[in-house]
Amino acid sequence: MRTVHPMPDQSAVTPLRQPLVTVDKLTVDMPLGRSGSSVRIVDGVDFSIGVGERVALVGESGSGKSLTARALMRLDRLARLSGRVDFDGTDLLKLSDRDMGRLRGSSIAMVFQDPMSFLDPLMTIGDQVAETLRIRGVGKAEARKRALAVLDELGVDRAAERLDAYPHEFSGGMRQRVVLAMALVGEPRLLIADEPTTALDVRVQDQVLDLLDDVSARRGLAVLFITHDLGVVAGFAERVMVMYSGRIVEDGEVASVFAKPSHPYTQGLIKAVPRIDQDLNTLYAIPGAPPPPLARPNGCPFHPRCDQRFERCDKDLPALLQVGLSRVACHLHDGQQHDRHPHDRKGA
Amino acid sequence: MLAFRAYSWFLGRRLGLTLLTLWGLASLVFLMIKLMPGDEAQMAAGADASAAQIEAVRERLGLDAPVIMQYLSFLGRLLRGDLGTSIVTLQPVLADLEKVLPSTLELVFIAMLLNLAVAIPAGIVAAYRQGGVFDTTSRITAVMLGGMPAFWLALVLQYVLGSVWRVVPISGQQGYGMNSPVVTGAPTLDALIAGNFAGFFDTLHHIILPAAVLAALFATQIFRTLRAALLGVLRSDFIMAVRAKGATARHMLVRHALPNSLNPVLTLSGAQAGAMIGSAVLVETVFARQGIGAYMFNAVAQKDAFAVLGSVMFIGTVVCLVNLIVDILQLLVDPRIRAAQLGSQGQ
Ligand SMILES: Nc1ncnc2c1ncn2[C@@H]1O[C@H](COP(=O)(O)OP(=O)(O)OP(=O)(O)O)[C@@H](O)[C@H]1O
Ligand code: SF4
Ligand SMILES: [Mg+2]
Repeated sequence: MRTVHPMPDQSAVTPLRQPLVTVDKLTVDMPLGRSGSSVRIVDGVDFSIGVGERVALVGESGSGKSLTARALMRLDRLARLSGRVDFDGTDLLKLSDRDMGRLRGSSIAMVFQDPMSFLDPLMTIGDQVAETLRIRGVGKAEARKRALAVLDELGVDRAAERLDAYPHEFSGGMRQRVVLAMALVGEPRLLIADEPTTALDVRVQDQVLDLLDDVSARRGLAVLFITHDLGVVAGFAERVMVMYSGRIVEDGEVASVFAKPSHPYTQGLIKAVPRIDQDLNTLYAIPGAPPPPLARPNGCPFHPRCDQRFERCDKDLPALLQVGLSRVACHLHDGQQHDRHPHDRKGA
Repeated sequence: MLAFRAYSWFLGRRLGLTLLTLWGLASLVFLMIKLMPGDEAQMAAGADASAAQIEAVRERLGLDAPVIMQYLSFLGRLLRGDLGTSIVTLQPVLADLEKVLPSTLELVFIAMLLNLAVAIPAGIVAAYRQGGVFDTTSRITAVMLGGMPAFWLALVLQYVLGSVWRVVPISGQQGYGMNSPVVTGAPTLDALIAGNFAGFFDTLHHIILPAAVLAALFATQIFRTLRAALLGVLRSDFIMAVRAKGATARHMLVRHALPNSLNPVLTLSGAQAGAMIGSAVLVETVFARQGIGAYMFNAVAQKDAFAVLGSVMFIGTVVCLVNLIVDILQLLVDPRIRAAQLGSQGQ
């Protein structure tokens, strides 16, 4: 279904298309209680998303995917952000709160993981979907009409009758459609989907994914799709970015990354995907756990778990460099001559 | 029509519950009368009644009959609105209460408005800017006010604002010559009804300090409760979703965070309405206002048992009604409670 685009040159990963968002050295610091000190969760992330492009962001729990995504919309009130987030030529991190508010919902919208907890239990579905428009001064009747149209488009059955129903009266799958409608009604150009199917049961997951696939294609919507599920990445995204401990460690076309992952962490993630023919006892898991943000090891943050590490790995932090059509942050691929003596290359 | 039936069913149930509570309260009052030391006929007739008068009262109240018959006739009298006769005013207690209660209810109503009008915005700002200057100062103020004895606060404010700065009258409820014809018995309302604007502002001027004292005693609780509820709600996911739609802070707070934090505040203010009538006893005494406070104060001082118990009965009724209103408000705010209580899907 998806095609690998021919690359005109090797200087960049995406710019086949006009970039819509360009993120440059983005950091996110979260305060530690009331102490005044803070912890760096996202540590200098660069990437861009083209107009209409679908990019997946993967990585283990706690790697900073959600905070990165929310930083694009400046949604965490407590987070301290630095770097640049260029959206269509404006640096979002420099906007006033008021101007940022105008962009939310209309230029960048978000769908969240748990559709129940992301809906206000006291407000009707119709009002919540129309709210994005009402906030911008669209009249009541008009906003309701457009809300209904989107709900209809998303396959909420008997949508007209159920505009005045409350979230607790909807099933999980229907709620996720409502949340998606809330995001789409403002006609955004970028949709951030933070694990939108994780809380749903498998059958409903597929429906919601198909729907997302459909509507984003129809609207030429760029999507940043956060997920744990590499199977979903293969079906949905054109490009995948792998995040580890607050940094992007690999970024490339889905087909090429899956066929030939460069970073040992990506290799581990792919190896850990269970296959149907696999015996349960042979399921692979990357040994160890990601470091807590306050105790990142020196050098490559992955080195305590890496089966290909060598002596530079615990000293220098590998930069994210262009390697073929991808970008990779690993000393194995930084083009320097190494006296390689990987400890144990059973993974290669 | 289904909804209408569900609502009537709910209201019927709640009214039944209210009546049951009042019945319990009445029984308690009856028990108290029976357990009071001394001869009941003597009490009802007054301290300096002659033996013949006492016997007449005994006959009239049926005090020779078995207790169970007395209980039934007591309930019967209550149903007819007969709360007994005050030995001080020699009037039916109900007639006395009709005279004094409106003034108290007016005081409590204004105090409740002040209470909510200050505590709710303060709670919102404090929670939204948690740890900020406003939050810190208002929390300290709340702790100080909350720990202050009520009469002391009343006396200090009376002294400072009334005697030293003279911005408000020290006591009373209206100035000389400011009276309006009595319609409801609530002076501010009566002045409005009479179109007596000078009188209206005069009564407001008199009521503002006692109402503020009463409000201050209760506003700290509302502030703390709302602030805590809001802090929880502001951390919840749907608030982030609302922000992601581009809502302003104001819209998010007023349309989403506040309604979702209102439940504990409603419950609390229902309980406060009753407690405020209780505290009005003190405030009315300090500020020399007419009202159920002064009435009960006198009744207790003069061992006017029926006046005291009648007042208790009346206050209990008001508290029950306020709680009924709170139940209905909660129903209106939360569709989930509606679904649970009305048995339908809240529509
Ligand atoms: N409000 C917060 N204050 C402090 N630390 C936070 C806050 N939110 C998240 N973190 C920390 O930031 C790190 C990354 O969080 P984030 O939610 O971005 O991870 P994630 O990659 O989305 O994980 P998951 O797959 O579990 O959703 C975690 O270690 C988490 O503990
Ligand atoms: S830099 Fe070294 S430790 Fe890090 S992933 Fe590459 S090989 Fe492994
Ligand atoms: Mg997350």
